[in-house]
Amino acid sequence: MKEYFRNIYQAIATILIGMGVTLRHLFTRAVTIQYPHVKRELPSRSRQKLFVNMDDCIGCLQCARACPVDCITIENIKAGKDEDLGVTSNGQKKRMHVIKFDIDMAKCCYCADCVFPCPTECITMTPDYEFATYDRGDLLVHFSQYSAEEAEALRERDRKEKAALAAAKEAKLKAAAQAAEKKDKKDN
Amino acid sequence: MSKSNLPPTQFELEISDDLKTEEMTLSMGPQHPSTHGVLQVILKTDGEIIKSAEPVIGYLHRCFEKHAENVTYHQVIPYTDRLDYIASMNNNLGYAIGLERMMNLEVNERAEYLRVIVAELNRIASHLIALGTYGLDIGAFTPFLYVFRDRELILDLFEELCGARLLYNYIWVGGVAYDAPQGWIDKVKEFTDYFEPKIKEYNDILTFNKIFIERTANVGVIPPEVGINYGVSGPSLRGSGVNFDLRKDAPYSIYDRFDFDVCIGKGEMGTVGDTWDRYWVRVAEMFESVKIIRQACDAIPEGDAKETVPRNIKVPPGDYYMATETPRGELGYYIISDGGKNPNRVKVRSPAYSNLSVLPAIAPGVMIADLVAIIGSLDIVLGEIDR
Repeated sequence: MKEYFRNIYQAIATILIGMGVTLRHLFTRAVTIQYPHVKRELPSRSRQKLFVNMDDCIGCLQCARACPVDCITIENIKAGKDEDLGVTSNGQKKRMHVIKFDIDMAKCCYCADCVFPCPTECITMTPDYEFATYDRGDLLVHFSQYSAEEAEALRERDRKEKAALAAAKEAKLKAAAQAAEKKDKKDN
Repeated sequence: MSKSNLPPTQFELEISDDLKTEEMTLSMGPQHPSTHGVLQVILKTDGEIIKSAEPVIGYLHRCFEKHAENVTYHQVIPYTDRLDYIASMNNNLGYAIGLERMMNLEVNERAEYLRVIVAELNRIASHLIALGTYGLDIGAFTPFLYVFRDRELILDLFEELCGARLLYNYIWVGGVAYDAPQGWIDKVKEFTDYFEPKIKEYNDILTFNKIFIERTANVGVIPPEVGINYGVSGPSLRGSGVNFDLRKDAPYSIYDRFDFDVCIGKGEMGTVGDTWDRYWVRVAEMFESVKIIRQACDAIPEGDAKETVPRNIKVPPGDYYMATETPRGELGYYIISDGGKNPNRVKVRSPAYSNLSVLPAIAPGVMIADLVAIIGSLDIVLGEIDR
C-alpha cells in the first residue's frame, strides 16, 4: 500500500520537474530560423558546391586522380610550341588546352580531397549550397572555357599532329629497316 | 492448465489445455520508425509476448570493404565516414591510427590534441542522438528536440573546423586535414561550459522521470557473461557492469594523458544490465567526454597540425588490427597491405553489428513494446552494421 502511494507521488513529482524544464523553455528565445527568408551565413571553410577557376587551371589532372568517386572528367590538348596560354596567378606556365573540365555534382561526396593536391589552388569548395535542380543532368557542371567547336578543332589538330608523328615514326623505322637490310646485303 | 512453453522470464501465461493457440510471425521493419534505420526484425510472437526475434540485415549494404580495395589508402577515409555516420570522426580516427602504426609514423602533438577534441565532441553528439531517439522510442518527444538543439552546436563547431557537418574526412593519416581556425578552441571551451548544465536538464526531463524508469528498468537485461560471449562492447557492455573501455585498457592516440573515469552500470533503478543502465552509461559518459575536452583544450600546444601529413602514403607489407573506442563500442580495422597503393583488404569489426547480435538472446519473453526499448538502448547504426 505504501509502495503504491509512493509510486504515485514519484510519478507526479518527476513529471512536474520535467514540466518545469519545458516551462522554462517557454520563455527562452527560439533557436530555429525561418530558413528561406532568414539565412545563416556559412563559415568560409564550408564544403558545398565545387568551383573551378579556369584561368588558373593547368590541367595537371591531380584533382581527378584524388577523387574517390571519379566525378571529375578532364580532357587536355597539349599547346603548340608557338602558342602562349599565359600564366596562372601563382606564376605557373599553362601548357595545356583544358578543353573539358566537367564535375558531376550528383556524384560528388564533398570530401574536398580534390582541393588539397591542386598546385594552383584553382579548385575550391564554396559555401554555396542552394543548387538543387529538377533534372539530375543539370548537376553536371561544365567549367571549360572552350566552346564545342573550339574543342573539336583542337581535337582534330591533335589527331592530325599525332597521325603526322606516327607517320614520321613509321617512316623512320622503315628507313632504319631498309638501311639494316642494305647493310646485311653488303656484309654478305 | 499448462504453462506456456516460453523461457522463464517476467511474463508467464497460463493456458488451458483445450485452448488452441498459435504463434504469429510479425515482420517489424525495415520501414519501422523505431528500428533506427532499415533493420528488419522477424518476430515470432505469442500474443504480445515475443518467442523469438531474428534481425535481418543488409538493406543498407554498400560494399565498403570491397570498395576499399579499389581506392588508394587516402581515398578510403571518406568512405570510413559513411560507416557510422553519426560519429564520423571516431571512424576516421581508428583507420588513421591503424595506418600510422603500420607506417611507424609519429604524429604532430597539436594534431593529436585536435583529434582527441573532435573525437570526444563527436562522442557527445552521438550520445545525444542516442538519448533523444531513445526517448522518442519510449514516447518522450520533447527531449529529442532539446538534444538536437545542443548537437547542432557541435555540428556548427565542426563546420567551422573542417567545413562539413556530418561526413568530415577530417582525421588524416599523419595528422588532420585543417588546423583549428583562430578562436576555435575558445569556442569549444565555451560549448563545454554551456553543455554541462544541459545534461542535468536531460536528467530532469527524462532520465529520472518515473514513467521512463518504469518503461526501461528491468527490461532487456544483458547479463555480463552473455554480453561478453556475444562480443558486445561500448556503453552496451559497460551497462552490464563490465569495466571495458579501450581508451583505458589499450590507450591509443594520447588518451593515457587524460584523467577520466569509465562509467559502468550499477543497476540503480533495477537489475544490472537493463536498458536504463545502458542509457545511464551514455549520460555519464558525456560528463567524462566534457572532462577530456576541457583537459585537451587547456593542454593543446601551438604548432602546425599538418606538419606530419605524408605526401604519399606508403604502407609496408603486413597486416594490423587497430581497435578504437567509438560511441558504440570497439571499432576494429583489420588492414592488410601488400606494399602497393591500395589496401589489399580492409576488414571492419563493427561494434553495432556485434551489439545487435545479442538481440535474439535477450528478446524472448519480452513484450513487443519492450523490444523497441531494447533496440533503442543498443544504439545501433545501420550504416555500420551493413557497411
